[in-house]
Amino acid sequence: MSDAPTKARTEILISGFGGQGVIRMGQILGLAAIKQGHRVTMLKSHGTETRGGYVRAQLVISPEYVDSPVVENADVFVAFSAPAYKKFFDFCRGKILYDPEMVEAIRPDAPERHVAVPATALAKERFNNVLFANMVMLGALTRLGGLDVEAMKKAMLEVIPRFHEQNLAALELGYTLPAVVPA
Amino acid sequence: MNKLAKKYLRPSQIPTKACHGCGIGMIENWLLQAIDEMGLKQDDVIFGTGIGCVGRQTFATWGGDNFGATHGRALAVATGLKLAQPDKKYLIVVGDGDAASIGTSHLIHAARRNLGVTVICEDNMGYESTGGQFSPTTPAGYVTNSSPYGMVEPGFDPCDVVKAAGATFVAETTATQWHQTVKIVKKALANDGFSFVHVRFPCNENFGAYALGTRDTLKNLEWIYEHTQGRKADGTETDFTWETGIKHDASNSRPEFSKVLRDMNARVRADLAARAGT
Amino acid sequence: MSTLEIGVKETLVAPWPEWARRATRGRRLLEAGTYALTEGAIAAGCRVFAGYPITPATDIAEYMSKRLPQVGGYYVQCEDELAGMHACAGASLGGLKAMTATSGPGFTLMHDAYGWAITNEIPLVVVDAMRVGPISGITGAPGQGEFYIARYASHGGNFETIVLSPSSVQEAFWLTIDAFNLAERFRTPVTILTDQVISDMWEDLFVPEDYDALDFVVPRRHNLMMPFYPVGSADLDVPPNVIGHGTGVCVSAYTHTEEGYDIEEMEAQWAQTYRLINKIRHHRDQLTRYETVGVEDAEVIAVAYGANARTVKTGVLEARRRGVRAGFVRLITLWPFPDELFARDLPYVVCELNYDGQLVREVMRSAPDGRTVRFMGKSAELHTVAEVAAGLEGVARNGRVPELPYIWTEVR
Repeated sequence: MSDAPTKARTEILISGFGGQGVIRMGQILGLAAIKQGHRVTMLKSHGTETRGGYVRAQLVISPEYVDSPVVENADVFVAFSAPAYKKFFDFCRGKILYDPEMVEAIRPDAPERHVAVPATALAKERFNNVLFANMVMLGALTRLGGLDVEAMKKAMLEVIPRFHEQNLAALELGYTLPAVVPA
Repeated sequence: MNKLAKKYLRPSQIPTKACHGCGIGMIENWLLQAIDEMGLKQDDVIFGTGIGCVGRQTFATWGGDNFGATHGRALAVATGLKLAQPDKKYLIVVGDGDAASIGTSHLIHAARRNLGVTVICEDNMGYESTGGQFSPTTPAGYVTNSSPYGMVEPGFDPCDVVKAAGATFVAETTATQWHQTVKIVKKALANDGFSFVHVRFPCNENFGAYALGTRDTLKNLEWIYEHTQGRKADGTETDFTWETGIKHDASNSRPEFSKVLRDMNARVRADLAARAGT
Repeated sequence: MSTLEIGVKETLVAPWPEWARRATRGRRLLEAGTYALTEGAIAAGCRVFAGYPITPATDIAEYMSKRLPQVGGYYVQCEDELAGMHACAGASLGGLKAMTATSGPGFTLMHDAYGWAITNEIPLVVVDAMRVGPISGITGAPGQGEFYIARYASHGGNFETIVLSPSSVQEAFWLTIDAFNLAERFRTPVTILTDQVISDMWEDLFVPEDYDALDFVVPRRHNLMMPFYPVGSADLDVPPNVIGHGTGVCVSAYTHTEEGYDIEEMEAQWAQTYRLINKIRHHRDQLTRYETVGVEDAEVIAVAYGANARTVKTGVLEARRRGVRAGFVRLITLWPFPDELFARDLPYVVCELNYDGQLVREVMRSAPDGRTVRFMGKSAELHTVAEVAAGLEGVARNGRVPELPYIWTEVR
């Protein structure tokens, strides 16, 4: 199928294991977009552990009402785990942000679409807590997608109840990563 | 029509459609006596019932507001109704099928919640409106139309069940104990919580005919009376004994269900108002 | 790509576009369908929720447990769904608007209460968030298997039902208010037949600021005198009966007289049934809600409802882009079934989330030639845009849906 049906919309797919903050990340992205006047849908789904366990958020952001909420051709795919990367690779045509600690081997066919964001390692190193990895990743995604970082911060403070300082720092860290800052 | 019936019931709906010699009409009169002695008016009491002999015979006889639920669900309906109309007395008059079989889970949970209703379980020891099959309160071993070789299941005592579940007033009586029944019903209605009154009465057409071998009302009443005494008229022991009287009285010892919810609401709303004020 | 870019006409027949124009002050949120269903109910004046948690309707119970005490209402977590819907009926009889929410396994337990509430003309709202079946099926996946069960929500026949289905989080909010309004006006339970996608999905949601100012909410009234049951009449807007106001009302499981007395006469059965059927059939003009896109010049029309309608609509636009004059009908009112939407003699492609074919049978019945109606059944996942476009293209060009993996086309 051609690009046409999804032109006016941006599709974002985020997936990883449960507990990595995948849904939270989607929620912040979505709320930031709403605050900027966009229409947003977010489907969340869970695979069961026995099937290689994943959590997936499918976001569609559009200036007008979103008909299909299904992400069939993601503009951005955030892969937080190897099973998620494998399972959803074909649903993305744009950039793939992956955490190299989780996704050790990437497909060789399109290296230029891949951006390594060592979110888990950085979260451990800077905050001594992997829980902040999702905010590092969100910061990176914000920069790469050309999104409004201030709006993202505001939405994040609304969505996340605690540890505002660390979360803001984690977001900023991701936003200024050399891998995503345009040369 | 007697004086109490005139005061509380619907002339067009009585006499009830009960079979000759059925105890349902008589027990209803005793309920009216209790209501009258408590000084309650027609509008103070909501009358609820279910399906089967007791449901069919008592539905719409009460002159005030009343409902006949689907089979077993009178207490489920009452749970919602009580939230909307908390100040009324509820007389939920049901049979052994409604209370002790098809609707037992609602009975247990109404008792657990201490829902402010009085359940009168009028127990004719079987499913008589469908022609006389055994129920969980049919005495073990007795012959009914679905236990032609004698009922092989053990029965159970619904009083034990509701007491264990948390009922705050539990009593057992029979259609042979007029004054005791009236006294018990008055106490039950005075409890602002879940009251359960188990009243055994004879069905002459089915239980009497098949289990006891007679359609004679007096003989069937006598059989019940003997089992409350543990002794037959000839002095020999009965096969089992029903202990009647008040089984458990913790009336007004814990808050009634709808009140618990109202109090919680008041707390939540006060907190909200306080937060809005700061 | 949008309907504007494609240049086709889009029509929505429902009361809420007008409501949205009137209620402009409020907040824009990112929330789930369950949240919208809850808030819609609160906005409509619902003050009792009695039910039993079940995926994917559980969040409605949780939201209600938080919200109702804040507005002076009551949350009752019941022992089962039988108790849940009966308790709602009891609360409604006592004068409070009430709602319960469930999914398929709980919905089947409610038939008992449905019959009672329908016969006794008790207003209340039931949400069924459908998932794949039979029975527990796949708990986290969407299905549309209760299309007929929702219509025939009780045994015994002799009644009509009102069933509505939202296809977005925002619509779930407005439609819930609508469901409460219809329940009051028609004195009957109204079913919101939604699905796992709509209930779990998060979407931008506008919520009005002041619920008390929503002048389109139909308030609860009380019928304080005879007749309690206008048997033999199709009158709309008869105030619901109330227990506890000393009217002497009688409510029962039996065929009744206008007083509510049980009666075993054929004439009474006729009069009661006349009421239960015709109060709905005679006012279908006030019940039908739907959306269409590009039906005016269509050579083939896709039909869908609920969450599934969203990918189907995009599929229709994609088919247009490929040169197929495709149209789209989205049912919002599922029952009474809007036969008139299928009056034109052209091929209909019915996309629904079951393999046995339910909605498709009603379209076959309504269409001038049932043989032109095609079925694209899918289960556990929404139709993809690609599947729908391929199906429409196939029907328009070759008269049939092409073979596609996991798409069921047989109905007979």
